[in-house]
Amino acid sequence: MSWQMPSTVDEALRLKADNPGATVIAGGTFLGILSGQGLLDNDEWISLQNISELKTLGTEGDLSVGAMVTHRRLELTPVVREDWPGLAQAFGVVASPRIRNVATIGGVLADADYASDPPSMLVASRAVAEVASVRGMRRVPIEDLIAGHYETTLADDELITRVVVPRPRGKGVYRKFRTRSREDRPTVAVAAAREDDRVRVVVGAVSDRPQHYADICAAWKPGDEDSAREIGAAYAEAIRCIGDGRGSAAYRRRVVGVEVRRVLMQVGP
Amino acid sequence: MTDARITADIRYSVDHKVPGMWHLRLVRAGIPAGTVTAIDATAVDDEVAVITPEDVLPHGKYGCQIADQHVLASEPKYLGDPVVAVVAATEKAARQAAAAIDVRYETSPAVFDELEAVQPSAPLVHAAHVTSNSDSAYFEMRPQDGTNVCHHFRIRTPGLRGRHEPNLLIDLPSPGDDRLADAFADADVVFEETFRTPAASHVPMEPHATVAEWVDGRLEVTTGTQTPFNLRQDLAVLFGLPAESVRVVAAPMGGSFGAKTFMRTEAIAAVAAKAVGRPVRCVLDRDEVFGEVTRHASTVRMRIGARRDGKFVAKQMLAYLNTGGYADCGPGVAQKMGYAGVGPYRFDHVAVDSYCAYTNLPPAGAFRGYGAMQSAWACERLVDMLADELRIDPVELRRMNLLRDGDAFCTGEIMRDTHFEELLDDVAKAVAWQDGRKGKGIAIMLKGMQTPSRAEAAIRSLPDGRFEVHSGTADMGQGSVEALTRIVADLLDVHPDRITVPCPDTDLVPYDTRTTSSRSTHMMSRALAEAARELRNGGTVGRGRIVNEGGLDPDTGEGIASSHWHQGAASAHVEIDDETGVIDVKTLYASSYAGTVVNRPAAELQNEGSMIMALGSSLFEEISYQDGQLVNPNLSDYNIASALDCASIQHRLMESPGAEVHGLGETAVPPVPPALGNAVASLGYRPRELPMSPERVLASRVDGRPAAR
Ligand SMILES: Cc1cc2nc3c(=O)[nH]c(=O)nc-3n(C[C@H](O)[C@H](O)[C@H](O)COP(=O)(O)OP(=O)(O)OC[C@H]3O[C@@H](n4cnc5c(N)ncnc54)[C@H](O)[C@@H]3O)c2cc1C
Repeated sequence: MSWQMPSTVDEALRLKADNPGATVIAGGTFLGILSGQGLLDNDEWISLQNISELKTLGTEGDLSVGAMVTHRRLELTPVVREDWPGLAQAFGVVASPRIRNVATIGGVLADADYASDPPSMLVASRAVAEVASVRGMRRVPIEDLIAGHYETTLADDELITRVVVPRPRGKGVYRKFRTRSREDRPTVAVAAAREDDRVRVVVGAVSDRPQHYADICAAWKPGDEDSAREIGAAYAEAIRCIGDGRGSAAYRRRVVGVEVRRVLMQVGP
Repeated sequence: MTDARITADIRYSVDHKVPGMWHLRLVRAGIPAGTVTAIDATAVDDEVAVITPEDVLPHGKYGCQIADQHVLASEPKYLGDPVVAVVAATEKAARQAAAAIDVRYETSPAVFDELEAVQPSAPLVHAAHVTSNSDSAYFEMRPQDGTNVCHHFRIRTPGLRGRHEPNLLIDLPSPGDDRLADAFADADVVFEETFRTPAASHVPMEPHATVAEWVDGRLEVTTGTQTPFNLRQDLAVLFGLPAESVRVVAAPMGGSFGAKTFMRTEAIAAVAAKAVGRPVRCVLDRDEVFGEVTRHASTVRMRIGARRDGKFVAKQMLAYLNTGGYADCGPGVAQKMGYAGVGPYRFDHVAVDSYCAYTNLPPAGAFRGYGAMQSAWACERLVDMLADELRIDPVELRRMNLLRDGDAFCTGEIMRDTHFEELLDDVAKAVAWQDGRKGKGIAIMLKGMQTPSRAEAAIRSLPDGRFEVHSGTADMGQGSVEALTRIVADLLDVHPDRITVPCPDTDLVPYDTRTTSSRSTHMMSRALAEAARELRNGGTVGRGRIVNEGGLDPDTGEGIASSHWHQGAASAHVEIDDETGVIDVKTLYASSYAGTVVNRPAAELQNEGSMIMALGSSLFEEISYQDGQLVNPNLSDYNIASALDCASIQHRLMESPGAEVHGLGETAVPPVPPALGNAVASLGYRPRELPMSPERVLASRVDGRPAAR
């Protein structure tokens, strides 16, 4: 077994380019389950744990989050709570403190599990990932990064190095809807980011990737309950929900309508 | 005393390793029912031992109550039934070997649902039913030949006996056809409903772990087990040995909750150790623990009749237990589910039929609450429905009908030391019942203890002035070592530091029935009191022996169900998001009658632990199957309650001066789901099925339509 621990991004990109089959490991919470269940049998690993540049958190201007920044830091850092409250909220309701202490923003985006909390809030906030390889760097909006369940648009030699979240132009709210234990993943994830008199509503955990409908949101009248209800109904209509152990497709559809209405009333008037 | 759990000095069964041991992995059936037609092990290394069903055939069948199980199955009864074992020098090699084995099957029709399993047309899971000779078959079995019912337990109070009745009822008979219809003649109101509980997992933190070894022709097994003496007997029979030639050491368990009772992986580990001539270790993976043994999924149909003034007249109950591919202790669970479903109430007439039915699912067995939870769910929900119908306050309706000292239970035994009314008042007060009952619910129940049973104990004085306690009580995290230490320190009036309690070793400690049904503190404390008395009278060893006689007639239910009763009640206060069905538990309270408390912190933890498990069962714990495949055998897909879910829990241990020690390990489990269910019902819902997932809550709205805003 080989376990590489590069200390710079360049070194990591080089290792990954030389060996695209190696598994990149960040907090290891997702990979730990995969290998524990025998679903992952890889002998070559690249750990990002020693790369300090990936752990930086910049809060001047836009929020600049290194890929190795943990959920817990985003949840607890005072400026993030103050200036990006919706984001701090979304990272703060993931699993339990044990998971949040080690899980990273790079990991949650790259694993692209449909039942995650942060992606919908990141999409609502117009976050952009910086994706690098030895070939160079590109900027990818989160909605284009997550392609489907466990599927991203990352090439084999690419790493997420940073996520940039613009300063909010209005209130942001994340609502996690759970049907089982208080540490469960979301059954329905609803995020809303207000941009002056407009809003971006994103619904996650109900289909293969976060869902956003700009045309539906365009009809929003801040603070108006009927408008909120109509947008909720339109989202419920538009999304093809899946069913799983947390709730059937029909139930999810119902909850989408309710939770979208509620989130809109929270970000309005 | 520094707790060995905290200092990491405890050696759990999973920590037990011996030099030179090999590792066992099981190859599990990929079909729910059928026959193994070929086993291809050509891809397996030569150094790996492969054990097939044919190899274990000479051992015959075992089973704690019904002898229905081979050590490996040539005719698997459920998806996951072990069909081949491989033994290798390393765990990795064993895993690789298990993956390299190709098993071919011929499938046959399977049945999964307990109600389908009792239909005459259902495929038979086992062709015949043979009662086990094991000590754990402690009552007469009533299998129904030619059906999947491996035990039928009945209660017929005296006025209902001696009638010609069908052997197997699939539904409550309509009053016209009912041979027992006259039981309800005095009732003004008759109410009936069907209730369901799914299978659930015990989720012990530690998996099942066993090391077996043959030493000079003797079998030695170190394993996490609540039943060392039953296990010794069953292993001895399998290997044709006298019981003394088998030694079972019950290492401390990192949790069990019923999961580590009777034979689990010990038999195959012993066969494997013999085959390779060295110690063999078997540790299950988490997904295997899920399928090893479950709680009985069950359907309970219940009918209650009462007079307009609220006085109960009669109860009729049909319980169908899904015991899976092997009976395990399902017959015993059926019996307890049967009488617990009657509840702590007086009736003129009671008729109970409890059917333990085979299906092609993983076996169900002992589970904290032991059947009482499933039938208390039915009993207590139905009492509230009746209260609604009669427009009588549910607390008062119960009070009017509760068993009191001197009353006869449906088994004929006379109740004593009853505290139901105090419990009822206590739980009602905890949710401010007097201030209005919207969002509130209460429930009360009685649960029996293993009867008959026998506990023996010895106290040996050591040359260094300490005392060694020899007791078969197994520690599964409940703190039995500490309880035994305190009891003996008190009895001998010495400092607890002078007491040592080795773990149960059948070579060392005298016989004990088993550590189940919350019996140990109650039984063992009395055996130890005798032992201490004898020791005080001189000599270096004192011995004590307590025997509780009793048991029930399987055809009438007459007899002694329990030599002492676990009495418990619960109340809940909830709010419901009526657009989504999500239950928000504001208060969950349980009150358990404890008699005299031996160790308060440990007893409180038992109450809390019971409530936490029951909260999970009430709201989200459920094993799901698709065509016999367990689809959520991990802790992401199967949730248990987290710390955040437990904030609303409060409880009380009710003591009574001078009373005997009462078992406490399970008392707070059964009343919790119906207390929550009744609270939900008070807000316009009618839950009948557990768990009360938000989706089910919405679907149970009385006006049929979820709220829309
Ligand atoms: C018990 C439990 C409960 C959970 N509950 C929730 C929940 O409620 N809500 C929720 O949103 N999530 C939940 N999760 C998921 C959790 O948030 C993710 O597992 C976590 O975010 C992944 O981060 P990590 O750093 O541990 O990733 P790792 O496990 O280390 O990696 C995950 C994947 O990302 C890849 N990867 C990691 N970093 C990079 C990078 N910089 N560039 C490219 N690829 C990379 C890895 O190769 C791997 O494929 C839960 C997980 C567990 C174990």
